[in-house]
Amino acid sequence: MIRSFLSSMIRLVVTVVGVVTVTFFLMRAIPGDPALYMLGDYATADAVASLQAKLGLDRPILHQYGLFLKQTLTGDLGSSVVTGQPALDEIVSNLPWSISLAVLGMAIAIVIGVPLGITSARYQGTWLDRAVMVTALLGISFPVFWIGLVAILGFSHWAGLFPTLGAGNGEFWNELYHLILPATVLGISVAAYIARLTRSAMLEVLGQDYVRVARAMGISEGRIFYKLALRNALVPILAVISVTFAWSLGNAILIEVVFSRPGLGSTIMKAVLSRDYQLVQAGLLVLATAVVTINTLFNFLYGIIDPRLQKR
Amino acid sequence: MSNVTPVRPVLDIRSLRTVFPGPSGPLPIVNDVSLSVRAGEMLAVVGESGSGKSMTFMSALGLIEKPGKVESGQVLVDGVDLVPLSRQEMRAHRGRSISMIFQDPLSGLNPVFTVGAQLIEVLHAHRKMSRSAARKEAIELLERVQIPDPHRRLDDYPHQFSGGMRQRVLTAMATAHQPKVLIADEPTTALDVTVQAQVLDLIDNLRRDTGMAVVLITHDLGLVARHADRMSVMYSGRVVEEGKVSQVFANPRHPYTRSLLQSIPRLDTPVDADLMTIRGQPPLPGTIREGCAFESRCFLGRGRVDCLRIRPELQTVGKDVHLSACHFHESLEETALSA
Amino acid sequence: MTPFPAKSSTPEATETITLPPAPGRLRVMFQHRGLLIGAIMLAALVLIALFAPWLAPNSPTATNLMETFAPPSWTYPLGTDQFGRCLLSRLIWGTQVSLQVALSVVVISLTLGSILGSLAGFSGGLLEKVISWINDVLLAFPGFLLALAIVAARGSSLESIVIAVSVAYIPRVAVVMHAVVLTIKPRPFVEASRAIGLTNLRILLVHVIPNAMPPVIVVATVSAATAILAEAGLSFLGLGVQPPTPTWGNIISDGQTSIVEHPLISISAGLCIAMSVIALNLMGDGLRDTLDPQMRRQTGAKAL
Repeated sequence: MIRSFLSSMIRLVVTVVGVVTVTFFLMRAIPGDPALYMLGDYATADAVASLQAKLGLDRPILHQYGLFLKQTLTGDLGSSVVTGQPALDEIVSNLPWSISLAVLGMAIAIVIGVPLGITSARYQGTWLDRAVMVTALLGISFPVFWIGLVAILGFSHWAGLFPTLGAGNGEFWNELYHLILPATVLGISVAAYIARLTRSAMLEVLGQDYVRVARAMGISEGRIFYKLALRNALVPILAVISVTFAWSLGNAILIEVVFSRPGLGSTIMKAVLSRDYQLVQAGLLVLATAVVTINTLFNFLYGIIDPRLQKR
Repeated sequence: MSNVTPVRPVLDIRSLRTVFPGPSGPLPIVNDVSLSVRAGEMLAVVGESGSGKSMTFMSALGLIEKPGKVESGQVLVDGVDLVPLSRQEMRAHRGRSISMIFQDPLSGLNPVFTVGAQLIEVLHAHRKMSRSAARKEAIELLERVQIPDPHRRLDDYPHQFSGGMRQRVLTAMATAHQPKVLIADEPTTALDVTVQAQVLDLIDNLRRDTGMAVVLITHDLGLVARHADRMSVMYSGRVVEEGKVSQVFANPRHPYTRSLLQSIPRLDTPVDADLMTIRGQPPLPGTIREGCAFESRCFLGRGRVDCLRIRPELQTVGKDVHLSACHFHESLEETALSA
Repeated sequence: MTPFPAKSSTPEATETITLPPAPGRLRVMFQHRGLLIGAIMLAALVLIALFAPWLAPNSPTATNLMETFAPPSWTYPLGTDQFGRCLLSRLIWGTQVSLQVALSVVVISLTLGSILGSLAGFSGGLLEKVISWINDVLLAFPGFLLALAIVAARGSSLESIVIAVSVAYIPRVAVVMHAVVLTIKPRPFVEASRAIGLTNLRILLVHVIPNAMPPVIVVATVSAATAILAEAGLSFLGLGVQPPTPTWGNIISDGQTSIVEHPLISISAGLCIAMSVIALNLMGDGLRDTLDPQMRRQTGAKAL
């Protein structure tokens, strides 16, 4: 157990280093000069030169990489060009809104998606299965931001049930009220995805030999499905959740923009539009690291659940 | 109810027909098959892949999934016809009066449950027992199939057992309720030769101890010779020959059986002699609508009208009920194989 | 209607070499309702894209400030937007962008992803570890975010979007290909090919890759669907194809400000996106069903 935990940790660190590396080279994939890019087309040569020196862009690339690595791992992610504040602080201060959106959204998605997927598999081929799958297909085919817009139109404007924009005034219930619609939109869109994959996972398990054997022994269908098969689908279902989590972070950005909510997504968007290079970089790093950490946690979880993965 | 007729078969399959939908109508996978086994007897069912041997018994156990279905026929287990039973009623029989073990022990056990849990699950499926009683019985079952150290092994997971042991565990599960009939569908194909012998000996012992009838589905004629009392040869969804093993081996009365026996390599044939094969492939279900399905590959085949037009039925060709479904089985009589 | 016997009934010949698509397989595919509908929808969209200049009643970029937000009429079948541009024409021309992106992404990610994946799976050793690690790292970035960052870095253009989405999807294809090749490599026919003297490259090209195609094809259709959604998202955010070129994403964005009074603009564009994505998903599902059962076991629920 300890051994697998350690190896998970090592993997995590190595992957994070990889993430940092990729981010570094990604940001330097900008054609032309980053300093020029940040300052815009009308910057003076002096301004560009001083920014270059400040960012260390006049040093050889490997030197820059080393510097970047060191800085990042000590928490120094540079400063926002726009506000001058440390980038990490900007990010962290915006995190709570994104986290609450992501968490509530995923919770809704799991609570809706997993049972639907399982039920669909249980009644495979019946009208129920078809109905659920058609709905899920629609759910993954409409862009999430469009669903958001339609939801705002329907629930906020016409029905007046929910506030249209923003995240609230800081007071808990108010904030929650503002969170409901965006989280539900995110949740439904992700739920569609989860439902489909959960169904596949269950069907895959149901096609296994040991299910056939259990049937041959006279064990009831219900018991086979809900006890014997489901336990086996647990790991794949968790894998589905872990993968959709990463994917939902991308969607969260769109939701934040549509609902004018503050958060990491909005921050990154604004940074992109204002060419705030350090901030974009910082945002990417934080998000990717979060994904990697969560994936590692999940991987560790699989090891606990599946007896085959436990070393004797 | 007392039964004066001697030795009624424990398993009696009569004219069983199982079909699957095809592009142009239903295709028979099991095409009018009749087989029977008596208590304590081992019937070997032999045939190539696709001959319908597994499907026949899957049908008998009600394990045929949509879109396939059992169209007609009877499956009598100890006198009770299973075919018309509802799913619920059928389930009461499965694992209790008739049981089946399958080919691949590696995938037959649920990987996330302990062996003990799975055994207890099977016990609970047909009997009400307390947990401790079930556990005790599970240990006894493991002992019966000769798993060493059963107390500890009960809490181990399938991946901690070897292939042979897993097959023994599966056998324990299948015989937990003392079924009248055990169907063993190629139980040893995925195992080493030495382990094969162990598993089959185990089955033989169980047979002797409990009077259980066994159907051994296999393509390995060596196993048939060693363990089985009677054999049925299937081809393309039908039984083409049936009889006592010793008789069929000595005097095969169907060209297919004959070719099968001849294709077994022998120790006394010269090393550089060609391997005997039966040229061609078995026909896909439904492609042969009239006549004999084996005709195109038959060494007796000369495109005769009878073979092409008239489906050969099983006829008695010898004593101890030796049956064969061939129009021209007499031509095989002269050339009896040496044992 | 349903394809011929399911796994549990037909004895499997596990070592057959299957070269897709055999004539029988094509026939089965035609019988799959979902696949057929998806294919027809996709064909319709392709035709619309190809014949856009002739199908669109007006120019998609011509503004008419006298007729802003006009209701549907004969001249403007779906009305106009805030600049007086014909909505229907814009939607029709938008098809071109979406399909272009989808096609390019599929081609690029399929080719590069397959090469990387099969290299990793087939060669093993250090190369495999390195490629796997790179894939893991790339997959750590949520796809949309990665595309966003790349577009942000390179500037907004169709080319950027294609590159961005491809980069996000190449590792996904590579991972699937890698997994599949690993299941094919140990099969006896590969060893047999080696035994009769075929070079590794030949084995890879002639035997391994054709056998690996089914799950990869499915991933490809999914990547096309994702590409369309990603392009829409990026354009919606203003980072994609720039105005005045119409793309469904920026049409939704255009309609956002006036959505309460004139919902048709955003709603219709969203429906267009949904139709294309539904078509591709139906095809993906259909292909997965018909190229089963070997496939389902290979990629399981992770055939994204």
